[in-house]
Formats: sequence, structure tokens, C-alpha cells
Amino acid sequence: MNGNGKLKIGMYWASSCGGCDISLLEIGDKILDLIQIADVAFWPCAADFKYQTVAGYPDGYMDICFFNGGVRNSEQEEVARLLRKKSKLLVAYGTCASDGGIPALANMNSVAEIFDAAYHSNPSIDNPNGIEPRPHVETAVGTLEIPTFYPAVLNLGQIVHADFAIPGCPPQAEDVWEAIGALVSGATPQHNGDRRIGCTSRSVCDECVREKKMTRIAAFRRHHMFRPEPGWCLLEQGAMCLGPATRGGCGALCPQAGMRCEGCYGPAPGATDQGSAMIGAIGGMLEATTEKRAQEMVDEIVDPPGTFYRFSMATGNLKVAQKH
Amino acid sequence: MSETVQAGDHKASVDGDQPRVGVFVCRCGGNISDIVDVDAVARRLSDVRGVVCATTHQFFCSDPGQALIEQSIKEHNLDRVVVAACSPSLHEITFRRAVARAGLNQYLFEHANIREQVSWVITDKSAATDKAERLVRAAVARTRRLAPLQKRRIHIRPSVLVIGGGVAGLTAARDLAARGIHVTLIESSPFLGGRLAQLHRIFPTGQRARDVVTPLIEEVASNPNIVIHTNAELERASGFIGDFHTVVRIMPRGVSEACTNPQEVIDSCPEETVDGFNLGLAKRKAIYMPYAGCYPPVPAIDWRSCTKCGACFEAAAGKGIDLDEKPREVMIAAGAIVIAAGLNTYAPRHGEYGYGQFQEVVTLAQLNRMLDPTGPTAGKLTVNGRSVRRVGFMHCVGSLQHEGIHKPMRDGRINQYCSRVCCTTTMHAAEEIKDRFPGVQVYDFHEDIRTYGRRHESYYDHVCQQGVAFIRFDPLRPPTVEADTKGEFPLVVKTTDRLTFGEELEVPLDLLVLATGLVARDMSKLVDLYRCSVGADRFLLEVHPKLRPVELAAFGLFLAGSVQGPMDIAESTAAAAAAASKASALIKAGQIELDPFVARVDEHHCSGCKVCLYVCPFTAIERNDSTKTARVNEALCTGCGTCVASCPCNAIQQQGFEDSQVESELMALLAGKPPAEELLAAV
Amino acid sequence: MDENEATFHSGGNGATPWQPRIIGFLCYWCSYTGADNAGTARMKYAPNVDVVKVMCSGRIDPDLIGKAFANGADGVLVLGCHIGDCHYISGNHKTMVRMPLVRRVLEGMGIEPERFRHEWVSAAEGEKFSRLVTEMTEQVRALGPLNWRERLHACGVGHGMDLAPWGEERP
Repeated sequence: MNGNGKLKIGMYWASSCGGCDISLLEIGDKILDLIQIADVAFWPCAADFKYQTVAGYPDGYMDICFFNGGVRNSEQEEVARLLRKKSKLLVAYGTCASDGGIPALANMNSVAEIFDAAYHSNPSIDNPNGIEPRPHVETAVGTLEIPTFYPAVLNLGQIVHADFAIPGCPPQAEDVWEAIGALVSGATPQHNGDRRIGCTSRSVCDECVREKKMTRIAAFRRHHMFRPEPGWCLLEQGAMCLGPATRGGCGALCPQAGMRCEGCYGPAPGATDQGSAMIGAIGGMLEATTEKRAQEMVDEIVDPPGTFYRFSMATGNLKVAQKH
Repeated sequence: MSETVQAGDHKASVDGDQPRVGVFVCRCGGNISDIVDVDAVARRLSDVRGVVCATTHQFFCSDPGQALIEQSIKEHNLDRVVVAACSPSLHEITFRRAVARAGLNQYLFEHANIREQVSWVITDKSAATDKAERLVRAAVARTRRLAPLQKRRIHIRPSVLVIGGGVAGLTAARDLAARGIHVTLIESSPFLGGRLAQLHRIFPTGQRARDVVTPLIEEVASNPNIVIHTNAELERASGFIGDFHTVVRIMPRGVSEACTNPQEVIDSCPEETVDGFNLGLAKRKAIYMPYAGCYPPVPAIDWRSCTKCGACFEAAAGKGIDLDEKPREVMIAAGAIVIAAGLNTYAPRHGEYGYGQFQEVVTLAQLNRMLDPTGPTAGKLTVNGRSVRRVGFMHCVGSLQHEGIHKPMRDGRINQYCSRVCCTTTMHAAEEIKDRFPGVQVYDFHEDIRTYGRRHESYYDHVCQQGVAFIRFDPLRPPTVEADTKGEFPLVVKTTDRLTFGEELEVPLDLLVLATGLVARDMSKLVDLYRCSVGADRFLLEVHPKLRPVELAAFGLFLAGSVQGPMDIAESTAAAAAAASKASALIKAGQIELDPFVARVDEHHCSGCKVCLYVCPFTAIERNDSTKTARVNEALCTGCGTCVASCPCNAIQQQGFEDSQVESELMALLAGKPPAEELLAAV
Repeated sequence: MDENEATFHSGGNGATPWQPRIIGFLCYWCSYTGADNAGTARMKYAPNVDVVKVMCSGRIDPDLIGKAFANGADGVLVLGCHIGDCHYISGNHKTMVRMPLVRRVLEGMGIEPERFRHEWVSAAEGEKFSRLVTEMTEQVRALGPLNWRERLHACGVGHGMDLAPWGEERP
């Protein structure tokens, strides 16, 4: 705490959609309570802060800095390192920062493929001269520099040390408020030895009201293909529900609404690779008794890496696809 | 119930303290050291963090070798031991014992296989040495993560359930009871004796089968230590080694011992049906006894053909007949279970070698009934009232099947195995035909003849002398059976004979006997209730054919006889005696110690998602609905680790195969420094 | 020196020519015994497959396969009992479902299918084991090193003060 005795907090967005910034506001009236005890030292999404301002802060100036989004380019890496230096506690906020999130799905494509889609081949693109961004451009007025695009999206923890992570896409407001409460009070928030806060120490299944009947999966069905029976485990009904392999904390919102868990809170406690955990889990749940049928059922699954690592590509074992 | 054995171990450092590892690289008298530079391996390992001593010896499995290990443990105060030697299947136990003798927990030991999987298979000495080094490093990495474990101790209830009342079940029951163990024997049919009672004469003694089975049944039936339930069907089962609970459903017999005039009662029955005991060659009444002298000596009612007309009730004057008898359930508690469920003979398909098309085509089992003087033909060799002049035997019907030639069984698999008993049975029957009906000509069509057993080959020699004609067909072009158009004989077998270099033969016959093979019964209920391992041939699968030949993988279950594969009577009784002796050793010990490699649930991490409940092949995991967490029943857990791989929260760990242990082994195998400069340049 | 800091590495730029580094996950009852069987019969095969023994192929967590590739394996071989011959009744049925799924994920991540093989080897099939090892070694050799660890470093993984994944202690 500096000067006025109030906490200094920050929030930064890197490779993210902005939903995390909004989710912080979802705490509602409590934001006023927060402002009673804390000054916002840095929040580019909410107000005009300059990097220079932050660079001018003494080291450890900010008491808590929330970092949302993964790291995809040199600017984000630079800011991550800067914020690490200027913050006492650096918290990876949201699944992109903690596990890569949706942006990390792009790790399945090479930079060339991404640029091709983004600047050339997508139908909505109007780029007759085929211009692509380059880090350094010589112009009449001097060299222009823009951030370098990295080969992969990484979670914050691979760039700098993050003290805690609040998973979720986006994190749930009540959990966030609880975590903030713990952080501002100076206490170590409740966590399971893995520094993940604002979530439970169990999987989504623990919070889910749907029951398993111990029937095996006869065939995989996508959510547009059937209307799930209420009260019955979606996975058993053939929906690829990632609940068993996903960290709880959301209150099993999606399964309650009849939608399979897509895994947005990242790996379940105890696991690090969400996809492997899910593959291990469904290994014994299929009705298939022959190799042929097992293969057929597996072939029915659309886009396995994108399904099993939808939100956690950056903390999976492989992280990045090999492209030639 | 299980409890943990407190073995006398001394302190073992787990994470935190630096483990003190001893590495012992065996030369195996040159078997290893001729290819692997064992001194170099020991030298390189001595640099590894935590390795306190690394040494070699000519034979670590020898007494001086083991003494060296023990001495080193004491001298260097070792708390982890790695022996690099032969396969762990040979000497893992030897070394564990040596480790235990030195006062160290025996599970703080790791075995690296550098003989079977290195020195015997790799020719390049430097590659072999490098590989041995990698494997030993991995073993060291793994041991560093090991924790001391204790064997599980289970108390054993002093009674045995024997499933099956054939020769194997009877033998096992007799042997167990002779050791003072309480036995409950259950038989699904109404009578004891199984397939042996159906046989005529048995090799290699030539005795009447009845003369073997009747005294055996009497011995069992009169033993006060044995309770017999016939007409008993398995209903439910629970429990585990030492304390199995089996509920059997006793189906109504309809007749009790109070019936004093069984033969009159049987004669009174107006309903006739196919006589299963005589394999369809005769008819019997709906209330019946299969043969004179059967056990129990009380008729049974075949409810499928009984019309409840009441004739028997009147004939018995109401004594001992209950046409409205209801099934009842009996619970049997047992410390061990001997499975002697037997097998079936292969049922030929319609049209297979003319079976079902021609009355003159019968199976070997049917011929056996025909040769029996008390059987359906009173021992005469006649078909349709006509005496048989020429008889042919067709081998390997339902056995040694070939892909593409034979149609698969219902499960899509063919019977590739040899049924073992049919060749000698065929020779034995051919000999009897030649002895009793000297004028009959006998032809033997085979792909191969395997009279493998002791004193079996003499039957083959003898029938050769007696003039049986042997014709060897090409298994890929099996013989065909047709009606004989010349009319003199009902059948003609067309084949080529490889013994005469492919000569085309047409052999007219009065009777063709199919030497049908032996197949597993439908044991799905049994398999399901007791979690039995089943082989690809559908017979129950022992743990190891040589080392543990009569045990199933699930603890406390023993295999007696042909439930495990085709066996003759001698082999069945030998297997049954072995199973009985294994079971009685368990019962007499009163308790058993099991390997500690069981799964454990970390309730703190368990989310109660039930995923592990699907995968456990032994239903050893249950979920506590109040705490919403899973729990492993250690007495049921066989330590496969399947649940570990399935748990999405990694809340289940298998002792001895924990993630951290397997992963540290993996990482050590993959050890390598990435070239640093290249990495820094990359971003 | 730590056992994890050995001098071998799977990169292609050492003094000795590059050798494929393949991890074989073997069930104890069938495949590991099959491998012993090959040894007893003195069948010769390539030294490149390092065996990790588990009691049942059902214990082979897909995570282990990912970890093997991510940490320097050029190939992974998964061997279990034939379907119907599992010592633990149906442990290999889980393998039968998991491995095709692992294969699809690996393919999605651009790992050549030849680098991952899943076969059934019985205790009697020493010949099959030795053939598989040699085939696998040659098909991986033809592809060259995978160098996943280096690939991840090139993408920036591990540049931070603590290494992914979460849960590692701060250094």
C-alpha cells in the first residue's frame, strides 16, 4: 500500500476476448466496495493507462494485478514481465491466462496458416495487395515496429511466475469476489496445493445434479442431435461432457441447462493434461466390446484435440501442433 | 477382512530425505557381461545422485551374491535397492527376500531386466551397455519415489464351495473333505456324475466309466463334511477371498426321498421326451432317472415336458411327489471357491460331414452310448435296425479349425485349438469295435493324430495291427459326405489321401462317427459373478500355465478340470486334486498375505464422478453416497491399475505404480539435455 | 549428476549418429512376458525401445503417452494382452478404446501416425515382439527425430520463472 493507504490493483488483457474484464464488473455493487479499499493502478480496458506509467511505478507497486488472456506476441510477453516486476501478487485471471483458453486452439495451426486465414483466404477479407503485418517496416518517417507474432499461445505461467490462477471462461463473479476478498485481506486464499483459486477442489461432476445410472455410452451424440433426458448424466447419454475432467467452481451451469461441459475451467484438480484425463475416463465407459466397434465409436468423435483441449491446449502435454 | 501386516522394517526415507540407493549389476556368469559392460554400467551409475554404492557380481541370485546385497545394505545404510539382472519373473522374489532379510522393506526394491531384454537380444555391445545403463538409471529414478509397502492380510473362512458335480468337482470335494474342510458342492443338473457317467469305457485302463464314477459319488455323498445341492443354479455372489457369499437357487426336483417306488412312478408317466443322457438316441419319461444306480437315487421331473397330469402322484400314492414345488434360495459362505463347471462337446452344424442330414452320421459321444451294453442300442452296433459293416471315424470335427475353411462359432471365433482327447477316444472306440465286432471294417479319416498321453500311443499301435485303415486328408480340402448312389451303403466319404500322395478315394460306409471336439460351456453367469478371466478359446484362464496352473487371477478362485480346457479324465482328476490342495492350503493357513499393489483413493481429490466404477473388472470400487467419494475394497482389488488411468482427477493411485513412480522412470529413460544455445536463439 | 541429467539426448546434433528413442509401455502378464520370451529365444532386435512395465495395459494412462512425446520420445509403442486374454478380464478393453482416441489426438497435433503404435502381444509371441520393435525402430528412424521438447522451447515454453504446468513449486 502506497500513499493513501489504499491497495493498488491492476487488470490487464492480453490474448483474450474481453469477457474477463466484463466478468470483473459482474461482481456488481461490490465494485464500489473494492474501490473503497483499492485504487486502480492499471486497467487499460476501463481507462487510459500508458505502459510508461506502469514502467514508472516502483517495483512491487501494485498489490494485486490480474492478468487475463494468453500470451501470443512480444508485446504481451513484455507487459507480462513488466507487470510481474511491478506487482506483489500476479494472478492469472480466466482460463486463457491459466490454460491458454480458446485462443490457444490456434496452436493447432502454424503462423503461416493463421496469417493466411486472417489476411488472405477468409471470404470477408479485403486485402488486394496481400499485405501481412511485419514486425519492422521501413517508411519515409522512420522504422515502424509492431509486436512480433509468436508461434504459439502460452499461458501466463510459462512466461512469468504467477502467484495464483482464477480459472473460468469467464470466472464466476461470486468466486472472484471471494478470491479477491481473500487476496486483499492478505490471507492465502483456499487452494488445493496447485495455486488455483476461485474454484473448487473437485471436478464439475461434484457440483452436477445429473446422476449416473451406470449405463455405458452406446454412441456419441452432439448437442444438436438430441434432447437430453433431465436428471441423467449427459456423458452416459452420449454427449461428450468434459465434466469429469474439468475443474469445478462454475456450479455445473452448462450441464444444468442441458449443455455438455466443454471444459472451460481447465483440468480437474490432480491432473495437468485435461484431454488425456478425459480419454482415460471414457476408456471404460463405451459399450463397445470389439476393436472394430471401439474404432467406429472413436471415429464418430468430431475434432478430438479441439474437443478435449478446447480450453487447455497450452497446459496439455503437447501444447503446439507440428506443422510442416 | 483385510488389515495391514506390521512387518519389521526400519526407517525408509521417502520424499524429503535423500534416499540412499544401492545398485547391483549382475554378470549372470557371462550371460549379461559378455554383451553388456557391467563394470561400465556400475561405474556410470555411481555418479548418479543418491546412488551410494554400485557394484557387480558373478551371480547375485547365488547365496554369496545375496549375502553381498544384504551386507551392502547394512554397511552403506541403504534404503533403496536396484538389482539389474535377469527378468523380474525369475528372481524378483529372491531379491525382495534378500532385501527383507537385511531389515529393509522389501518393496523399496526395483528390478532392472538387462538379460532377457538387453544382453540376449542386442548384438552391439556398446548399444547394449547404453541401454542397460538407461534401464538401471530409470530403475534408480523409480526407486527414489518408492514408499515402503505392507502386504495385505486376509482371514479365510474354513469352508469351500465346489461348483460342478462331475468327476473334477467330486474329486475336489472328496479331497477337501478328507482334510477336514467343510465343502458345499453344487450341481446344476438333477444328478451327479457329469460327463464321466455318460461315458462307456475309459482309457487307459479300459474300465467301465460307471465303475469309476459310482464309488467316487458314494464317497462324496457319504462324507458328513460335504453338503450337496443338485438342481442348483448360481443366482448372486458377493464377497472376496476368505469370505465369498454365493446365493444359489435350488430348482424344484418335484420328487423327494419319500418316494419309495421310483421305478413304478417313472413307468406311470405318460409323457415321453428325448433322452439327453443318451444324447438323443433314445426316449425317456418326463419323470426320470438317467441310468440305474444314479445319484441321488431319486427321480427328477423334467418340467419342460411334464404336463402335471398327476399320474406319478397317483403311482406314488402321494408320497414324495410335489408338482407345485417352488424354487428356494440357499446362501453359501465360503473362504474359497473351486470351479469345476466342465465343458461341452462340440455340436456339429447341420450338414457338417452330413450330420443331421443322414441318420448314419453320429458323434463320438453318441457312439459311446451305443457301445454301452446298458445303452440305447444295448451295445449293438446297429443303425436303423441294420448291422454296421463299415464304420468311419472323422477326426477334428470342431477342433483345429482353419480360417476360411470353417465357419466361426457364435462369438465370431473359430476353434483353432486341439481338443486333445478325441484322438485317443477314437482309437479306443475303434479297438473296441474291432474286438467286439471283428467283421466290421474301420476307416479313420484324419488331418493329424495326436495320441499324446501316457499309454495312449499303444491304442494307435494296436488298431494299426487290427487293420484299421488310416486316411490322411488335406485340412484345407476336408472330405465330403454324400449319399451312396450305388445303393449298397447309405453313405460315401469322398476325400484325397495324403498318405498315398493325393489319391482320390471314395469310401462307402454304414456309419460315420464324428470325433467332435470339446468346447467351453456358456459360463457367462459364472464369469460375471466371480469375475473370472476367460481365454480366447472361451475356457477359463489360469494365472500362469506353469507357475499357477489352477488359480484364477481373482483371488480365492481355483480351477478344477476341463472348465480350463479340454482334458481327459485322468487330467481332470489331477487338476481337481491340485485345485483342492491349493484351496486347502489356503484354508488351512487361515489367512493369506497379498501383494500390496492395490489402488487407493485420495478422498480429498475424489469428485465422486464414478468413472472408476465402470472400469474395475473386479467390482472392487464402490462409492460412498454420503461422502460422494469412491473407495477401493482391498481384498477384491487385484492391482491392475486400470482405475488409475481412468481417474480424471488422478485421485486414485496404485501402490507401487503411482504416477510419480512411473513418470520418474519415464523421464529418466528420456533424460537428455536440450542444447541450450539453440533454445535461447529461438525466441 | 542427476539421473534426469544424463548425457544422452534425442536431439540430432550429438557426436554419435542420432538413434530413435522409443518408449514401450508393456503389460506385465502378456507383452512383458512376450518380450522375455524373445530374449529366452535369443531373437535379436533393435535396442531403441525402452520398456516401461505396468501390470495391465489398462494402467497406461494417455497422459503418460503425451508426456513421453513431450519429453523427447521419438515414438511410443503400447502393447497389451490380446482381447479376450486379459489377466484382469477386461483391462485391455479400456486400452482398446483409449488408444485409437490417443492416436486421433496425436494425429490432430501433427504427430505422424507411424510414431505411435498399439498392438497386442501375448506371452508366447516373442517373435511378434521382436518384429514390432525392429519395425517400429525403422519406421521412426525414417521419420527422423521428433524433438518435441525443443519445439516447445522454441515456442517459448519454459521461458518463465516457473515451468508449466501449474502446480510446480516456484524455483
